[in-house]
Amino acid sequence: MAMKMASKPRAPLVPMGKKRCEDPRIDYKDLIYITKFMTPQAQIQSRRRTSFCAQCQRQLKQAIKRARHLGLLPFVG
Amino acid sequence: MNQYEGMFLLDNQVVRTDYKTAKAVVTDTLKKHGAEIVSARRWDERRLAYPMAGRQRATFMLTYFKAGPNAITGIRRDAELDERILRHLLLKVEEVPATELELSLAEGDDYAPPPPPADDAIDREEPLVGAIGEDGEVIDEDAVPEDVGVSLNDLEEV
Repeated sequence: MAMKMASKPRAPLVPMGKKRCEDPRIDYKDLIYITKFMTPQAQIQSRRRTSFCAQCQRQLKQAIKRARHLGLLPFVG
Repeated sequence: MNQYEGMFLLDNQVVRTDYKTAKAVVTDTLKKHGAEIVSARRWDERRLAYPMAGRQRATFMLTYFKAGPNAITGIRRDAELDERILRHLLLKVEEVPATELELSLAEGDDYAPPPPPADDAIDREEPLVGAIGEDGEVIDEDAVPEDVGVSLNDLEEV
């Protein structure tokens, strides 16, 4: 008779007590700030160059894409 | 009810005729679907990074409103169909920035922004060099001018 093994509780995806990193300056309307993280050809710079954490880099990507959609930034420089 | 941020790009031709009408294009669309407008103001008027619907410039209207999730589909559809709205972006936000309410109130009912520049339409293709003269006459480059001074007969003799 097989015994049921007690399932090991999963670790939470975001560790408890660790706050989510957010840069409030990253906004699609703040073009002066977000264009700092773009190349002269209007490409998004890599994390290696921006030195953002993963969450902030994702926010930056989203903000640049929103600005491109509204015609505030070019797709190709 | 959720809070949303809406950015609408308006055709400058509508803004040039009357700003109130242009603002009403956005506010009426939102009110039609039962949205409660918290703030609506002119964010900027600027040159676009790439032409949209034959326009090089547009007026940006920034709005914050409260609406049910089902209303967003209707607002999106109306914004897509309205030719005066060049493009739109709707985002769900946690809270309205405090500065937005002040700026929206400062705009007031009788606010009249400076008229947008006239160069919002795409430049026409420039005419070929020499195709049109200064007086508007069509110049044919292949035509030989009358007073050349040397005829073909003279060239043969030489």
